[in-house]
Amino acid sequence: MKKKYAMAYIVDRCVDCKACMVACKAEWHVPEEDFRTHIDTGKSPDYTDKLRLHFLPHQCNHCDDAPCVTVCPTKASYKREDGIVSINQKICVGCKYCIVSCPYDARFFNHELGVAEKCTFCLPRIAEGLAPACVTTCPGNVRVFGDVNDPKSEISALLRDASEKHYKVWKLRQDLGTEPNIYYVQK
Amino acid sequence: MKSKISRRRFIQGTLAAGAAAATLPSLSLVAGEVEHSTPSGITYTQNWCEMCFWKCGLTAKVVDGKVAKLEGQKDCPSNFGKLCAKGNSGVFQLYDPDRLQKPLIRTGERGSGQFKEVSWDEAIKYIAEKANGLKAKYGPETFTLFAHGSGEHSFVDLIHIMGSPNICIPSYSQCTGSRDIGWALTYGKPVGGKEPVDSENAKCIMLLGRNIAEALHVGELQDFINGCANGAYVIYVDPRYSKTAAKSNKYMMIKPGTDTALLLAMINYILVKEIYNKDFVENYTSGLEELREHVRQYTVKWASEITEIPEKDIIESAERLCAAAPHCYIHPGRRLTRYGTDTQFVRAIAILNALMGNWEQPGGIYRPVPLKLDTPHMVHDLERVEADRADGAGTDFPIASTDLGLANKMMQAIAEQKHPLKGMFVYGCNPFHNQGSTETVEKAIKASELIVTCEIYMTDTAWYSDVVLPESTYLERYDPIIITSRKSGYIQYREPAVKPLYDTLGGWEIAARLSKAMGYENHFMDVREYNKEFLDSIGLTEENMKKHGCLVGAEGDPFPVGSGAEPEFHTPSGKAELFSSMMDDLGYEALPSYEAPPMPKGDEFRLLFGRLSFHTHARTQNNAWLLALHHSQVDLWINSDRAKNLGIKNGDDVCIVKGDKKSHPCKAKVVDYIHKDAIFIPHGFGSVSKMLTRVVGVGARDSDFTSDVTDPVSGSAGFHNGFVKVVKA
Repeated sequence: MKKKYAMAYIVDRCVDCKACMVACKAEWHVPEEDFRTHIDTGKSPDYTDKLRLHFLPHQCNHCDDAPCVTVCPTKASYKREDGIVSINQKICVGCKYCIVSCPYDARFFNHELGVAEKCTFCLPRIAEGLAPACVTTCPGNVRVFGDVNDPKSEISALLRDASEKHYKVWKLRQDLGTEPNIYYVQK
Repeated sequence: MKSKISRRRFIQGTLAAGAAAATLPSLSLVAGEVEHSTPSGITYTQNWCEMCFWKCGLTAKVVDGKVAKLEGQKDCPSNFGKLCAKGNSGVFQLYDPDRLQKPLIRTGERGSGQFKEVSWDEAIKYIAEKANGLKAKYGPETFTLFAHGSGEHSFVDLIHIMGSPNICIPSYSQCTGSRDIGWALTYGKPVGGKEPVDSENAKCIMLLGRNIAEALHVGELQDFINGCANGAYVIYVDPRYSKTAAKSNKYMMIKPGTDTALLLAMINYILVKEIYNKDFVENYTSGLEELREHVRQYTVKWASEITEIPEKDIIESAERLCAAAPHCYIHPGRRLTRYGTDTQFVRAIAILNALMGNWEQPGGIYRPVPLKLDTPHMVHDLERVEADRADGAGTDFPIASTDLGLANKMMQAIAEQKHPLKGMFVYGCNPFHNQGSTETVEKAIKASELIVTCEIYMTDTAWYSDVVLPESTYLERYDPIIITSRKSGYIQYREPAVKPLYDTLGGWEIAARLSKAMGYENHFMDVREYNKEFLDSIGLTEENMKKHGCLVGAEGDPFPVGSGAEPEFHTPSGKAELFSSMMDDLGYEALPSYEAPPMPKGDEFRLLFGRLSFHTHARTQNNAWLLALHHSQVDLWINSDRAKNLGIKNGDDVCIVKGDKKSHPCKAKVVDYIHKDAIFIPHGFGSVSKMLTRVVGVGARDSDFTSDVTDPVSGSAGFHNGFVKVVKA
């Protein structure tokens, strides 16, 4: 079976330390002010009624029906066989359609190179048998990466476990039909 | 009297170094091996991180002679393969053009920023001549040292050679001193820097301002998150809802300064209800009846009024802990320099832990597994100076550590000049940010005839120095192998990933050159020679270390009491002392009482400060990768009701004001989850040094506004009695 790479965040474990953001920056020489992954803070409800802050990482969702791929006029943005949404920088003309089309705000414009940029699931690292940089560094072990088509992968085991134990599992804006591949797991 | 002295010596001894017991003949090769295949042009070198002081094991990937990436050593017990944001940003620090690149000698007024670049020979000669002149004029005790970091011992040894006892490691008085003294008085040994609390197995955890998620040490955080995931019930007490609060089951907003009241009421409640660990308390503690009698006055109702925490929450916390005991802990804290009453606060924490009977129990306080090895000495024939110190450690403060000194009292002593303290050496730390009073630092600087700072950046203190010595970063130098103890004992190796980028040297080489130029004959070993001798003695080679980086040499049971051993306490009574006989002997209160700190009046706020997850001390703020995480914005947390009264809206530029001092602007973070008495700012901003080009004048420098009170037992500083006003910029 074809590989289908995906990532899950066990959000209970995230403390918003931002190690993932800096490891990614170091790995990919991301321009100084930009990041390919972020951590948002959610707040529910207010203090008087038991305040709770939630830390929610995000990055490119490597959608199965990716708007960035659909709108790209040069086919620089494309979906690979293994599920990774990639950018061929050589034919990217820097039109930024993809940046505005992405409902997850996962892309930014690299002014040094004049092209769109985003998470690649650390493609060269996974080719070497390493985990993506954000996964490797995460002190909280929030991030689980792997092939969801391989039942033996860590991510498959996590999702199975989550389903059996009725953990809350969701993806971002599934209503848009983008079929994202980032899972949020809350125990 | 004699026994008092010997007891004092005993406490001194317990604080001196990570106490070690067992010996181990050889090291098992289990950790850190580099498994990468190495394409040409790529090499891997081993190190431990110096972006904070937890010393995470790391491997540097070097591509074509340039450090490309740092990754955690997979099996290093400090961090198990992980690095935090600071650790990851070490690459930026290495190549930061803001780094000090050449030795500098001041040419203008102090603080003018006018320096000339000189050669190492010139800088060393200049310092040697000046220092020898000061020694001839004022005597050897004229020299003081403030030193922190992996290379601190180089300058510690140098100052001993120069003949002065006035050596200060600020991590004592400006950080963990009260904590370690309060703990040692109770249990006979200090907590120690590797935080031996077993979060992973804890069923209940109580943290009083111990913000594990943001004062981030990777190994400590991993244990904590695993503990949370394993179902620990976490009680978090803080005037501010921090990121650690976000992981808690029960957050209790406390009126700042009243934590001891909370603890004493919990102790009283637990004793009255008789829900303490009776087996442990009756057999292994002393002073139960005195304690019971003493805390009778501290009712839950009383504490609720003082702390502003509902009675039911105080009771529930006490009951939750007792239900989990002994698999629970109340964290002893780390930087405990709050209100000048911190030793007694820690005594209350230590007593509450004792009531849980969690000593060396899973989920409680674990025993670090020691790795005792005979190590060589970097300096041969070193005679340590044992004379009385100018800061009162060992005299005015009889149980304050004389090895670590009182950096706060020393700076005051330099400012006051009751002794002619004229030659100040600074290594790897920054008194302008770590002292409670920048006025005192300014006075001390005025009173000094020679100020030498060894650093990697032009810190605020370096900016005011006469000579600035640029040190190679951790990625450019060797350092002596270190021994670390957590749930195993291990050694860690540092080698340069690249040659020094600039005209810099490692601390040991600098100290050796200074010593020689001053005319001393002590032989400093070369660091590699030291490491070779060390490794030879345990049957290892440099090649082993290059391959593994970190090696576990001692494994053992971190929970001997849980496994059935009798608890042992090196206290005068041989028991965990609820009633401290040593404090009684020395004329301190033998049982902790609640002493209300001064409170803010009118439109004042109590200034609280602390760490962000992604900055260390005042060391990393200028790092562009880390600055980008918060868009160089420095938040000032302020309570929404108080902000409304002042007409301050979220996102407004605001300044801190105290007397005629006014900070640079911060961004108001208006929230209802900080206590109305307090504002909070992150530590380390508001630098004045113009060579920290990205952060000069950015945000507030907390030390301009904090208090500088002294804990009467430990001698440590208290910073949180600083009262300020907030105005729109």
